[in-house]
Amino acid sequence: MTSKREIHINVPVLTRVEGEGALELDVAQGVIQKLNLRIFEPPRLFEKFVEGYEYDQVIDMVARICGICPVAYQMSAVQAFERLFGVDPGPWVQDMRRVMYCGEWLQSHALHVHLLAAPDFFGFESAIAMAEKYPEAVRRGLRLQGLGNDLITLFGGRSVHPVAVRVGGFYKAPAEEAVADMVKQLEQALPQAEALVRWCAELDFPHDEQAFTSVALSEPGEYAIGSGRLVSGQGLDIDISHFEGHFEEFQVPHSTALHTQLEGRPYLTGPLARLNLNFRQLPKPVRGVMEDCGIHFPSHNMFHSILARAIEIHLVTYEALQLLQAYERPDVSAVQVRPRAGTAFGCTEAPRGFLWHRYDVDERGDIRRARIVPPTSQNQARIEQDLRASLETFGLDHDDDELRQRAEQVIRNYDPCISCATHFLQLKVSRR
Amino acid sequence: MIRVIGIGSPFGADQLGWLALEALEEAAISDLELIRLDRPGSGLLRYFEDVERVLLIDAVVADSEPGEVTLLNPADLSQSSCLTSSHGFGVAEALALAETLETLPAELWVAGIEAGSDHCSVPDLNKQQLLDLLAHLI
Repeated sequence: MTSKREIHINVPVLTRVEGEGALELDVAQGVIQKLNLRIFEPPRLFEKFVEGYEYDQVIDMVARICGICPVAYQMSAVQAFERLFGVDPGPWVQDMRRVMYCGEWLQSHALHVHLLAAPDFFGFESAIAMAEKYPEAVRRGLRLQGLGNDLITLFGGRSVHPVAVRVGGFYKAPAEEAVADMVKQLEQALPQAEALVRWCAELDFPHDEQAFTSVALSEPGEYAIGSGRLVSGQGLDIDISHFEGHFEEFQVPHSTALHTQLEGRPYLTGPLARLNLNFRQLPKPVRGVMEDCGIHFPSHNMFHSILARAIEIHLVTYEALQLLQAYERPDVSAVQVRPRAGTAFGCTEAPRGFLWHRYDVDERGDIRRARIVPPTSQNQARIEQDLRASLETFGLDHDDDELRQRAEQVIRNYDPCISCATHFLQLKVSRR
Repeated sequence: MIRVIGIGSPFGADQLGWLALEALEEAAISDLELIRLDRPGSGLLRYFEDVERVLLIDAVVADSEPGEVTLLNPADLSQSSCLTSSHGFGVAEALALAETLETLPAELWVAGIEAGSDHCSVPDLNKQQLLDLLAHLI
């Protein structure tokens, strides 16, 4: 390698930073007086952008909200319009949407477990540092993440902002040869996914039991991903169209993202909440590995979130394999759609938790108003509640650096989409 | 054969890595495999598999003439302080991870194209410098 002169390089960051956050902590006489997770990311205004656009255009527009979970945005929107228009795309479409969604969970969870969360448990400052001691674990994470991206690409043409999902089905069905190749890759990945669960089960989890309410989609026949009723550990059991009667979004001065509460209280959405509510719906081989490792759910230790993600990685690898082994390319990959006016509700489980959409639609199928409630905003109030309890349990007499590290680990348990920001976390401790 | 990977995004000067690939495609140089990636993060490591020689091209800010093409020493790339974030996992972090995992290609070059101070506009790529650089590598 050559260099003509010595230069210090900064890769431009403007287009690659998704948000910024900070934590403000006031402590007096050993008790937390104020704790604010501040999010400065400017409002994205997507709900306004989609007004006036036709339903199928909206599917690809909302995918742009997130580079990590575009499939979730597409699936919540497509479900909303199909419910309103009375469209049943049939079992082939439903199965293949689940496979595509499995790909998103796989890439998102594999990235988070290996590159973001696991270094915390071993005391490394980054995945790069962790890779020196655990190279095979990091390689496994990269392989699983890559496979998840390939699964999305199989249906959507590309893994970021895929372009395949339409109201009524898919624009195109994958070729049988491509699916056969994917089946081979999934067969190779399944033992890796199982090994990941065993690896995570051996992690040294801090003891930090907390009382909180889990909320997730749930349905009787399978582990809910793309549909279901909204249920909680405290007896909530509603159709998704009744969300606004129970959940309230509101602004707080220190965050540009809306906070959300259920009946006036914070709640948890995401992998741990899903496992807590739906572990009985896991397929037998997945439950078998859990039992073998002595893993039990429900859990009220937020540090078990990494374990929940590992179990969901095993789940989606297994399910994608099962569904693709039975793959037959259909003659048509979408059914006819006729729009109608009304209010459309959609809700699916994004990797980070449930993602709720509502669209007011006119008779041509154009959007008049939209409302989108993503998981990270829902978890903000819960994160603040958790930080307060976790830092007090940890001990406020630790120095600022130790407190910052623990706070970051707590925040990363939620895999917030502002994870970039939370690593920049500037901890401002005011001690009196 | 050299695998040339242009890294970028559709936004402003960050397109420079992609524009470089377009210039190489027009020049129709033999024995090049051109791959365009949109902010691959840790996914960049997959493109080091099964290949001996790789040239990465990305936009950089290095106080040189906008559009200027410079061969960089990967060790000079600054890693952000954001190593545990997916969003902050850039080229420098991906190269550091590949080095730790011993998966760097046998020969790796990184070419930076100066983005200038105004990241919203796209400076004119110095195509001749790019072609000279390729001729030197081949």
